[in-house]
Amino acid sequence: MYTYDPMVSCISESPEVTNMPFWLGTARVVRLHTETLEPFFFGGARLLGLWSEASELSHLPAKWARYSHAGEGGRHESMADVSSIEHPTLKVPYDVLNKKFRLAQKTLDREVCHVTTAVSELERILFTDNQSASQISSLLGGVVEKLSSFKRKAEEATQEEVECGRVVKRRVEHLRGHDAPSPATVAEWRRTRLDRLLVEYLLRAGCYSTATKLASSRGIEGLTNLDVFLVAREVEQSLALHDTSKCLTWCHDNKSKLRKLNSSLEFNVRMQEYIELVKGDRRMDAIRHARKYFTGQEPHHLPSIQRCMALIAFPANTDVSPYKELLSPSRWDLLISQFRSENLKLYQLSSQSAFSVVVQSGLSALKTPHCYRGATGHNPDCPVCQPALNALASPLPYAHCSQSRLVCHISGDQLNENNQPLMLPNGYVYGEKALRQMASENNDTIVCPRSRQTFNIRDAEKVFVM
Amino acid sequence: MEACTAVAREIEKVLTKFTSYSDHASNTITSLHSNIENLQTEIDQVGADKNITDPQASILNEAMGRVKEAVTRLSSDHRDLHSSVSKVGKAIDKNFTADFGCISNDSVFSGDKQQLVNEVICQHFFREGLLDIAEEFISETGLELQEESREPFFELNRILAALKARDLGPALQWAEENREKLRAQNSSLEFKLHRLAYINLIKEGPLSVGQAIEYARVHFTPFVYQHEKVIQSLMGCLLYVKGGLENSPYSDLLSPHQWSEICDVFTRDACSLLGLSVDSSLAVCVNAGCTALPVLLNIKQVMQQRAVHNMWNTKEELPIEIDLGPSSRYHSIFACPILRQQSTETNPPMRLICGHVISRDALNKLTTSAKLKCPYCPVEQNPADAVQIFF
Repeated sequence: MYTYDPMVSCISESPEVTNMPFWLGTARVVRLHTETLEPFFFGGARLLGLWSEASELSHLPAKWARYSHAGEGGRHESMADVSSIEHPTLKVPYDVLNKKFRLAQKTLDREVCHVTTAVSELERILFTDNQSASQISSLLGGVVEKLSSFKRKAEEATQEEVECGRVVKRRVEHLRGHDAPSPATVAEWRRTRLDRLLVEYLLRAGCYSTATKLASSRGIEGLTNLDVFLVAREVEQSLALHDTSKCLTWCHDNKSKLRKLNSSLEFNVRMQEYIELVKGDRRMDAIRHARKYFTGQEPHHLPSIQRCMALIAFPANTDVSPYKELLSPSRWDLLISQFRSENLKLYQLSSQSAFSVVVQSGLSALKTPHCYRGATGHNPDCPVCQPALNALASPLPYAHCSQSRLVCHISGDQLNENNQPLMLPNGYVYGEKALRQMASENNDTIVCPRSRQTFNIRDAEKVFVM
Repeated sequence: MEACTAVAREIEKVLTKFTSYSDHASNTITSLHSNIENLQTEIDQVGADKNITDPQASILNEAMGRVKEAVTRLSSDHRDLHSSVSKVGKAIDKNFTADFGCISNDSVFSGDKQQLVNEVICQHFFREGLLDIAEEFISETGLELQEESREPFFELNRILAALKARDLGPALQWAEENREKLRAQNSSLEFKLHRLAYINLIKEGPLSVGQAIEYARVHFTPFVYQHEKVIQSLMGCLLYVKGGLENSPYSDLLSPHQWSEICDVFTRDACSLLGLSVDSSLAVCVNAGCTALPVLLNIKQVMQQRAVHNMWNTKEELPIEIDLGPSSRYHSIFACPILRQQSTETNPPMRLICGHVISRDALNKLTTSAKLKCPYCPVEQNPADAVQIFF
């Protein structure tokens, strides 16, 4: 009788004790006394309506348990997903703000310089003997003019900074909407999240007009990094037309960051210009170009420069490798792809879109062996059973499952204490509710939907799954 | 919430600082400006060809010193703001994961798989009724979709658009065409559509009551057995038409909620009729992924600390269980409670005589000299009596 006591106290305590400690504690008790306690425990648990919890004892190591239970918390889970994928949503406008700040600082410094020059000029006059009132007045006028220009520039600059700051703020506010109290708002937020992810994916894939259209039809332009990619699009288009000017302006605008990234983009663009000059048989211009731009380059560019210089000696239609490759037009495509990746790096965007990362993890989390067992196992609601997603998911790992999760094959409802699993004589298991309904419509006979055999409802037997 | 709050706090600080800086700057400069202009008028009064006096010169000198100092300070004040700006960046980096790409496998979606991804996205657009965007996408990617995969969506979207514009015609026609299939699904869509049409007639006022009764006679008759109660209440409301339905017990018949409900019912029934999922698969997938990703990122960190590599390649399964909630369970999964493994073709679930289920491997392990004691209850049995079951 003494083994009975701890369980009774545990069960009677359960409403006060929170979920985790209760079950982590009882799990051990159950394992110790499984044999003697079983009938009492499950009898009692079912009476108290604790069946579902009793069957959900965690079998993971305790320290991992919190991860797997993240989903139940709802709030906790959604918080974590915001911090996992929304980095670019905030970081990109922050970078824009930071850039604006530096620009504003530069402008201010320049204006300060102008004011102090005007002031020094006046001061110099004050130290001489010739302090003519009219001259001083006009110099004062100069100071006033510089001051008002300082004022105008400072106002413009801070205004722009505040605008950029507001963009960050708006996005943070939007992200905070993910755990709104009403489920309808959360559903809407998730819809917007999908649209945002799609827009980003489309932009990366180069589908600019679809992305722009989607963003404007959903009114989420401000929440996506559309601007950054649209600038990139212009550069890409001009590179595709063999025009380097836009790319060079872009390099110039982001000089300091590109230097930090150790980017060779500008050098490669210059090299391409040189190659184009050689192709066009303007070899003297090419040499002048080389003198102007190839000097002062990083030492590791030396082999490329040497090869370029040797190229001068070859005709434009040479078949000699590697000069033939240098002259090939596919180098422009390489430039475009290099530009794309540098642009992503510049804004600290991950090399893969959040969309594909999220879809992959989602497919993996949903993937079960049933999805690959032919049409009988398919569930039209399961995303992984859809043909296209099924093919995409095939190289991904299956979801891990250490705890049985049963759903009724007929209704799709969960099988638990309210809808117990029943086994037909042929071994197929369905939910009690669905079977009872079928039986009530057909004079107590049941047709197994998978094997097409007919049975009487009385022959269905209970199944206990721990 | 903390992550967002931290960033929001920093950005709020930056915005206040910028605003106050901007106010301060404009005040300082305005006062300097007016100060110098006063000096200028004073000097103008001296006369154009005369020299200024020494006290005036020293005042000027002082004023110029002030100007210099003030503008330099404004510039350095602005520079000092940088620390607050960079704090925003640090808050973002600290609270948000920058490198989520490490979780995924680049090759899964690249190459010819790209086409499949595009197909999925395109289906999602159709699904959501974004037909023009889908067309744009097809023309931009050169996607080749089979015509028949698009056709049902066109029709559904046309009907849905009509329903949203409160036109029941196309939906009723569709329901009549698919009456048999709908009935097999136990769907009450057609009745619900007729019911709305009837309510519409009543709404027009007492004059159209005759017409409404006529409509009910024709269209409600086939549904009497299934929906007797509802039809009774629909008939009952006729009593109040003269007095105005708004103030009657039947006022909920007029609520706009009826229309949003019919749209939902239509989407659900039509989708299941066409063998489509009710929610867009892509949306389900993305939501699942958003739940899974933080868990995977965490576990990856743990595994890296223990020098376990390549969670995506070496194993057939994810390293950790991810609970997506009951609504995202589409297939039954049986995990043997003894061995803690998912059942497979070679290790299927077996039901013991007592009703408890364990896997075949566990059954073999627990058998001693052709006897098996159930691990969950005291029943002793012959292991050969256990039967394989299918979930």
